[in-house]
Amino acid sequence: MTSKVRVDEININIIRALQKNARANFAGIARDCGVSTDTISKRFRKMKRAGVIRGTTVLLNPKSFGYNCVASLGVDVSYPHLREVVELIQRIPEIVFCATSMGKHDIFCIGVLRNVGRLSQVKDLIKGHPLVREVTTNIWVDEILLCPENFEFGHPNR
Amino acid sequence: MDQTDLFIIKKLTEDARMSFRKIAKELGISPDTVINRYKALQEKGVIRGSTVVLNPKKIGYPAMAAFMIVASPIHILATEATPADSSLILDKLIQMPNIILATKTVGDHDLLAIGVARDFEHLIKIGDDIANIPGVKDLRVSFWVEKAGLCPKYFII
Repeated sequence: MTSKVRVDEININIIRALQKNARANFAGIARDCGVSTDTISKRFRKMKRAGVIRGTTVLLNPKSFGYNCVASLGVDVSYPHLREVVELIQRIPEIVFCATSMGKHDIFCIGVLRNVGRLSQVKDLIKGHPLVREVTTNIWVDEILLCPENFEFGHPNR
Repeated sequence: MDQTDLFIIKKLTEDARMSFRKIAKELGISPDTVINRYKALQEKGVIRGSTVVLNPKKIGYPAMAAFMIVASPIHILATEATPADSSLILDKLIQMPNIILATKTVGDHDLLAIGVARDFEHLIKIGDDIANIPGVKDLRVSFWVEKAGLCPKYFII
């Protein structure tokens, strides 16, 4: 994890190709860069070792797994108790992302839920904490691309 | 979707580059079956694509924020001839290089965008750019301090 990696043009080309298609053929990327296939796979492994690349993954449609509601929740709390509320939120299996924040809202989180009814339950659960002042929910519409690293059907990673 | 599909999905979620031959071996089925299952999952829209997961901190983009956008009320009213302004704002947002996710929302704002930046000043600049999109009436920003996870789809370095 300590090795340094300079993100040069070849590395950027590798990342860009894999962003579009993680299964992209290294031989094809090598041809575009004018280097050997071996160079590309070495670079890829090096970026992985250095932690620049965390991994590769498929993008799933939550609806295919019965999760029909994606929403963001802004939570305002009595500030000294921020940590307690974060811990409560992180225990909710449908919350796939949670960040403490500055500016609008003290905590910002994203939930992937079966339906709006469940969103309402989750909202009430957070709002039920005595130190929570306000919870604002926003349901996402249209096509949303979620990163499965955050969304693991059935087994949320936190 | 059956157990075989779910197994393939699970393997590819952990490593999208895993060879179909290896997955087939673990399942005790032929690689062709795995390829056909993968294609079918793509056609059904269960798998929308594949991507690389980056650590933006390691490439000099440690700052992140959620931008909550309110569109001008008059412009939200769409007719069949003119698409809603929130759609136009969305189109502009997803073209911005540092916006990694953008969506229309129903709630106290009309659109949400998530941005990645080099530093705080850069985030402010992204906010200014969003505020300057025609039809944007109000912008609230939530700067993330401590966070987990990141969707890299629209992240261009």
